[in-house]
Amino acid sequence: MKLELGNFYVKDVLFGHKTYYKDGILTINKEEAMNFIREDEHIIELDLVIAKPGENTRIVPVKEAVEPRVRPDGRAVFPGVTGDLEMAGMGRLHALKGCSVLGVGMHWGSFGDGLIDMGGEGAKYTLYSQLINICIVANTDEEEERYEQQKKNTAIRMAAHKFAEYLGETVKELEPEEVEVFQLDPVTKRDDDTSKLPSVVLVMQPQSQMEELGYNDLVYGWDMNKYVPSFMNPNEVLDGALISGSFMPSSSKWSTYDFQNFPTIRELYKEHGKSINFLGVIMSNLNVSLEQKKRSALFVAQIAKSLGADGAIVTEEGYGNPDADYILCLAALEDVGVKTVGISNECTGRDGASQPLVTLDVKANALVSTGNVSQLIELPPADKVIGELQALARDGLSGGWAYDEVLGSSVREDGSVIMENNAMFCGDMIAGWSTKTMKEF
Amino acid sequence: MVIMCNLIPVATTVGANKIVPTISIPYPLGDPQTPKEVQWKLRYHRVGVALDALAEDIKEQTVFRVKI
Amino acid sequence: MKKAIHYINQFFAGIGGEELADHKPEIREGLVGPSLALNSVLDGEVTHTIICGDNFMGSNTEEAVKLILGFLEDKEFDIFIAGPAFQAGRYGVACGTIAKAVKEKFNVPVLTSMNEENPGVEMFKKDMHIFKGGKSAAKLRDDVKVMADFANKLLMGEKTGSADEEGFFPRGIRAQVWLENGPIASKRGVDMLIKKLNDEEYISELPIPELDRVEIASPIMDLSKANIALITTGGIVPVNNPDRIQSASATRWGRYDISNDDRLQSGVYKTIHAGFDPAAADADPNVVMPVDAMKAYLKEGKFGKLHKYFYSTVGTGTTQAEAMRMGKEIVEKLREDNVDGVIMTAT
Repeated sequence: MKLELGNFYVKDVLFGHKTYYKDGILTINKEEAMNFIREDEHIIELDLVIAKPGENTRIVPVKEAVEPRVRPDGRAVFPGVTGDLEMAGMGRLHALKGCSVLGVGMHWGSFGDGLIDMGGEGAKYTLYSQLINICIVANTDEEEERYEQQKKNTAIRMAAHKFAEYLGETVKELEPEEVEVFQLDPVTKRDDDTSKLPSVVLVMQPQSQMEELGYNDLVYGWDMNKYVPSFMNPNEVLDGALISGSFMPSSSKWSTYDFQNFPTIRELYKEHGKSINFLGVIMSNLNVSLEQKKRSALFVAQIAKSLGADGAIVTEEGYGNPDADYILCLAALEDVGVKTVGISNECTGRDGASQPLVTLDVKANALVSTGNVSQLIELPPADKVIGELQALARDGLSGGWAYDEVLGSSVREDGSVIMENNAMFCGDMIAGWSTKTMKEF
Repeated sequence: MVIMCNLIPVATTVGANKIVPTISIPYPLGDPQTPKEVQWKLRYHRVGVALDALAEDIKEQTVFRVKI
Repeated sequence: MKKAIHYINQFFAGIGGEELADHKPEIREGLVGPSLALNSVLDGEVTHTIICGDNFMGSNTEEAVKLILGFLEDKEFDIFIAGPAFQAGRYGVACGTIAKAVKEKFNVPVLTSMNEENPGVEMFKKDMHIFKGGKSAAKLRDDVKVMADFANKLLMGEKTGSADEEGFFPRGIRAQVWLENGPIASKRGVDMLIKKLNDEEYISELPIPELDRVEIASPIMDLSKANIALITTGGIVPVNNPDRIQSASATRWGRYDISNDDRLQSGVYKTIHAGFDPAAADADPNVVMPVDAMKAYLKEGKFGKLHKYFYSTVGTGTTQAEAMRMGKEIVEKLREDNVDGVIMTAT
């Protein structure tokens, strides 16, 4: 399977009277763009705001991030979501690099939403401070979940996917600055030099723990709660086959942007043919009962074994009880002779003294750690807020609170905040960008 | 003390000694997809196992068996 | 100038060896033995040296600690340093014992140093900074220097580094740090896997810690007379959540009277736990907190008495320290009410 990713490096994003891309500048006709987003009648209030790296701007509640892309051949960027179902992972794809479309609540937040600081001390807590963010700031008529802590956020999240595709159209006919090629030959038809190398799979455990449909990550538009692990080509992941959901505490999440650029896949590609034979991705999920967790681990171990994998990297989109899926999967692979490395974050508590994962197993003897979800973070007020700051305290964002005897509210009157890392948008960068680790103190 | 939970590996990791399994995280003692009577039977049975477990003299960490 | 007080044993004070290990605690102004070395590298002054025989501390611990804390009562000091104790087991345990007591009473930083073979390491590493020391007194200057470097940072209010960087034994406190120009997690993961596949050495970023074991409680002899209580970490509370228990990272718990209920009614009770889909628990709280089944068994006489309250908190993101505190508070209440056994449900 061969995927060509044509990159356009965006240096600035502006509003203007026409929507087009030229020489690194993406210009957007704001009114036309807003009319496009309003085609979904569930969007009842809307603004479009651009946030740039280094600005003293705070964005909250952020629900989703998407890289603007287009397929020149007319297929949908997110098959089964923004258009018809077609196989992803091959052909030509154009991407606007260095920017993302954010779905932001104009007022209301939910458990899995996060915060982004574009500048100052807070910027180091999330990758998204380094991107030019085109923010869809919206309110919707989804009354049934208005005051629920758990929200599907369907309208805002879908708007982000569709609008990313809309912006991608600007580079549909243009020649990219650079073309990256992602190609894997069929597993049984690789040259001898590659086949001789240790074979490696990547096991991904996307978030899928809500039994009611509509909250979970989607694979080709399919809710991953109703799913058992299967073998996928990594190009499918890079090419829009997976969509992020709306449930996990934000710092532990993989946004759709994260799937589109999944660093661990890119890293395995780099070593493919050199030090490893990258077989592909075993796409698993995360579950809510032990039986389901075990079943998924069995499927993963069997697929890895049948493919002849010597090694596996396992990575989970979550913490807390998903650690049980993660550790079970690592142990199941080790039990069938597949050497494993895990990549995830930890929850050692605000004092750092709690057990780092909820289950532990000595078989999980090679782990990469990307952060502590419950580390307390205090940040000064920002000049500008995109969205609504109170959402962090009021709406039950994981990592925010309305009231605490000692700490007060997460949002103070002067606009400064105190929060847990939990609410940093995709803050632990479990997809692989994290330069954080955990150390003993 | 008896702990009734679904994630047995979590309970064994943290050192609970008497463990009675339940069926899931969000609904430990009654699957909403099943009729009320079925949920009741399951709950009644497993709570009974937990009560018996309190009186059991164990020598090591034990996960008690349930029938339904 | 910042002030330090130093603890050493009778041997290093030059009083004598084994035969004088029963030496009673004393305090001297100024420097004795290793205090000279410490004073020379410390950005501060060692004002007093406390000397105690290892055996005296070992066999008359309470008295020794009381005497020494008494010596310190009228002294001003910013830090307390004990040892280094090298591989000397009794000395190491003595350093740990007295440093822990001083920390608790005077709330000043306490430091010590021991060799990894010293039993004092396992006993006290979670209570204080114990620096990794040499096997014998030949390493005295080096070990003192390592402690002093760290002490200097504390005294100057400078940022201290991780256990590896500073050279102390891990205390079980883990915090996130940014690796300067460090490789990203995916690169670290792939590199680690390649090493593991090639049977080369690698370092896991999360070494699996030893598991906690809890003593097994004695069984209830006669269930039909027993008083049983229900507890849940599933966040079942009255719908208005009167105790304002947090839906994640809880620090609060509540107890709710069920003496007049045959079951928990939907609409009266709900879950405020944010870590799972609440639909089923809200529709029927008994699937998390099985009051109905317990009441049925009570009527049948299977057990003697159902405690009038059930206790509730939220398990998700809750730190072990908070959980332990809440557990202790709840146990105290249960003891007051003569509860014999507990069934706890977890989600």
